[in-house]
Amino acid sequence: MDLQKIIPYRKMSLKELLVPENKLMALIAIVLTALFFIGVIIYLIHGHHAYGVTREHPWGLLIAMYIFFVVSSTGLCIVGSFGDVFGFKDYMAVSKRAIFGSIITILSGFAVIAFEIGHPITMMIYNVLSPGLTSAIWWMGTLYGIYLTFMVIEFIFLMRNDMKNAKIFGLFGLLVGLAAHSNLGGVFGFLNARVVANGVFYPTYFILTAFITGIYLIFLMYGYKYRGKPFPEDVTKALINFMKIQGLLLAILMFFETWKMLTGVYGGMPERADVIMHILHTKSFWLGEVMCGMVIPFLLILKSKGTAIKSMVWASFIGMIGIFYMRYDLVHDAQLFPMQTLKIREYQLPPSFVDYFPSSTEMMIGFGGIGICLILYFLGTKLFDLDSMPEHH
Amino acid sequence: MARYGMALDYKNCINCKACEVACKEENGVLLGADKHRIWVGVKEIEGEFPLLSIASNTFMPSQCQHCEHAPCQEVCPTHATHYDENGVVRVDPDKCILCSYCMNACPYDARYVDDRTMTVDKCNFCSDTRLARGETTTACQATCPTKVRIFGDLDDPNSEISQVLRDREHFSLKPHLGTKPKLFYLI
Ligand code: SF4
Ligand code: SF4
Ligand code: SF4
Repeated sequence: MDLQKIIPYRKMSLKELLVPENKLMALIAIVLTALFFIGVIIYLIHGHHAYGVTREHPWGLLIAMYIFFVVSSTGLCIVGSFGDVFGFKDYMAVSKRAIFGSIITILSGFAVIAFEIGHPITMMIYNVLSPGLTSAIWWMGTLYGIYLTFMVIEFIFLMRNDMKNAKIFGLFGLLVGLAAHSNLGGVFGFLNARVVANGVFYPTYFILTAFITGIYLIFLMYGYKYRGKPFPEDVTKALINFMKIQGLLLAILMFFETWKMLTGVYGGMPERADVIMHILHTKSFWLGEVMCGMVIPFLLILKSKGTAIKSMVWASFIGMIGIFYMRYDLVHDAQLFPMQTLKIREYQLPPSFVDYFPSSTEMMIGFGGIGICLILYFLGTKLFDLDSMPEHH
Repeated sequence: MARYGMALDYKNCINCKACEVACKEENGVLLGADKHRIWVGVKEIEGEFPLLSIASNTFMPSQCQHCEHAPCQEVCPTHATHYDENGVVRVDPDKCILCSYCMNACPYDARYVDDRTMTVDKCNFCSDTRLARGETTTACQATCPTKVRIFGDLDDPNSEISQVLRDREHFSLKPHLGTKPKLFYLI
């Protein structure tokens, strides 16, 4: 069987494939990936004891990083769909790269979550044998599995420049991806007992921030590719359009957040108002989420009227740091308030806000996932032609 | 089949923690493990001496509430958490993938990770120990020196628990969440 017939790729020797194009990025990718594997080995020896998670705070950094990756994937899928699914010619130039990005980000997410779920093999068996249809985690996992399949098929058709089939699978991939992603929001939204998370906010917020993340990432990918060089014309057009859309999306996000906080504090409802006040007193919210994730990129877009696409690459980097804080805080905030508030042992204080800080193993696996993502990206850019535009149909 | 529940005459609790010890002994819960299947919460005395509020100082024995509409069961992706034929909420360790979703969803912080099986565990009304042997009491109930706990079948109108729930006022924890706990605190 000739692989080339299934998916066209550039033939090259292993040496050519492995010689890095940029030494610094290669070093970063390799160090992070090495940390990932060291973290995995520590986890395999010590199990969950190597993590900072507790009974009161069972989800930690790895869940946050998983969300970070799958948000990126859904976002890139949305961004890529503009060209190849909806057929807007101005966005066609970035489609292939975006769709490829959506595949590798979700793979990195799966790599991270495999070491958070205690028994991933059992999961694959019993997800099928005794599906828990009322569980948002079941739907999220299953739909993401289907999504990944569609995205891979779409990518194969894209590589073959078969735009018709790419469009069909792209559309299914997009729809399933949106369903999966809002279900991930539902994982938190369904938690009746966790007042700050419960409700419609997260399922919609996840889709909105996914789109925002996708645009940040497309800027990072092109900014890296054309570092020190001007963008080609077709890419410039797409990026300028995306920058303007980003301005609108960030404005909507700020609006959402403002009302979430205001309604949260209003009336002083127990468990909700005190948690929101606690969040409003953290630096990670103001500096991480608000400044990095929203305000800095937004001001740049406003000031340049959406044209400073080179500066936007740096703003997108800052934006991604903000996106990380959004994911981390969302997981942490949902678990801030203890479910059992009475004192249990003598010489103890009654439980108050639950503390959590990721252990070094969690950091190695969680941030190491970024290394895996980078390595997959560099290999992909060498193997596949992610730029050529198909003839217009 | 039965529909098991437990009534707690909680004002009689003297916080001796015999129930914790008995549960560990009976169900093989890890020794040294803190508040695993069962615990007693302490409401501390409010006010400044000499105006102390004696009424505020109570002990609240607690464990899994065996919710009739259990959030932990609803969120479990593999049906590891399920209702058994007696309405007891149980975890099947073979199916548990340790996603910890149930720990997050339980409004009563009743679940913990058993370090031996690396799966989630909680009180199961002694279902695979005492009830399996045909006994009709739970370990925590049998050991309690002040007879705080009354365990029995809520569907049987003549059971002690049904009678006491008819005769005495009671409340359940976080009732606004709609979980319908089967642990009843007698006033
Ligand atoms: S108390 Fe918690 S663990 Fe027990 S049945 Fe209710 S939700 Fe489940
Ligand atoms: S940790 Fe186990 S019992 Fe709890 S929801 Fe996940 S699979 Fe079900
Ligand atoms: S009913 Fe049994 S399992 Fe539950 S707390 Fe009492 S002794 Fe432990």
